[in-house]
Amino acid sequence: MAKDIVAGALCCVGTFFFLLGTTGLLRMPDVFTRLHPSTKCDTLGACSIIIGMAVHSGWSWELPKLVIIACFLLLSSATCGHAIGRSALRRDIPYWRKKTGEVEGGDGS
Amino acid sequence: MKNLLALLFIAALAALLLYVVANMPPMGDPENPTATHVIPRYLEGAEEETHTVNVITGIILNYRGYDTMGEVTVIFTALAAALAVLGRERRGRIYAYVDRSGVPSSVIVRTMVRFLVPLIVLFSVYTILHGEISPGGGFQGGAIIGGSMIVFTTIFGLYESSRRIPQKVRFPLEGAAVMVFFLVGVLGMVGGGDFLTYAWPKAAAALHPALVTWLTVLVEIGIGLGGAMVLTSILFCMIREEEEIAVVA
Repeated sequence: MAKDIVAGALCCVGTFFFLLGTTGLLRMPDVFTRLHPSTKCDTLGACSIIIGMAVHSGWSWELPKLVIIACFLLLSSATCGHAIGRSALRRDIPYWRKKTGEVEGGDGS
Repeated sequence: MKNLLALLFIAALAALLLYVVANMPPMGDPENPTATHVIPRYLEGAEEETHTVNVITGIILNYRGYDTMGEVTVIFTALAAALAVLGRERRGRIYAYVDRSGVPSSVIVRTMVRFLVPLIVLFSVYTILHGEISPGGGFQGGAIIGGSMIVFTTIFGLYESSRRIPQKVRFPLEGAAVMVFFLVGVLGMVGGGDFLTYAWPKAAAALHPALVTWLTVLVEIGIGLGGAMVLTSILFCMIREEEEIAVVA
């Protein structure tokens, strides 16, 4: 019973981070600030859900599989974030700055 | 005003969709159209008739074998059309692929791709071979190999990847899916049944489960290899530049 509650709580935390990441992706003004919340989806969000599932499954053969999935997820999503950020930086994509005298900042580039 | 119009349109659309959803047959109802026609026959008879544990595989490769053979032909036709438009590379030559992105791939990405691609290919082998008893199969496994080749080619370039999968390997294997399907079908006729009969009537009844399993796995491997090579060939002919840079040793 306690196991189910812990697993459910961890899954809720994961979904919450996915919601935050998606909101940030839609609301942030430029590439770098968008990258910041959207990389949280895979690391914090998906890993919390996987930890929740691992708690739910207990000591079984599902556990090593979930650990391997989490490892690959961390490796590949970190690499993706690095590649997107690096190529945006090298291409001299301008940073977003708050323009004075305008209500809405950013040009959506 | 514009926002109000958009909001009204969305509200109307939502009302329409909710109306449609409310009129859909309830989920899991045994009276549903999907559950009353041919599915009960499949679900009840698949285990004895096709000797496969996985009903999906039984349906795709056995009950609807002709349909799947047509799909395999469609994939092969896609390759033929791509080659008819873009042309095949000259035999024994390697073509350049110029990375025009302006930002060369970093050491981190290269290391991770080099580390991950073999594991992706290993996973696809598992998907193909395990498709007979678990979710997966030839189409999925072949697509996974094709995807790993796309990742490898975009990071390391066409020269490296066409050294890994040379032309003389791709040429014979591109038709593997169609050929294996046709071969298994003709073997069914030789065994005394119709085209694409897995359990040969001439073979002893005790042999049927093993025979069906092995023929199904053979078809899965054929679909997987053929699909992977077709995807790789389409990628190579789309990505290559006009000039040749090297002759294969």
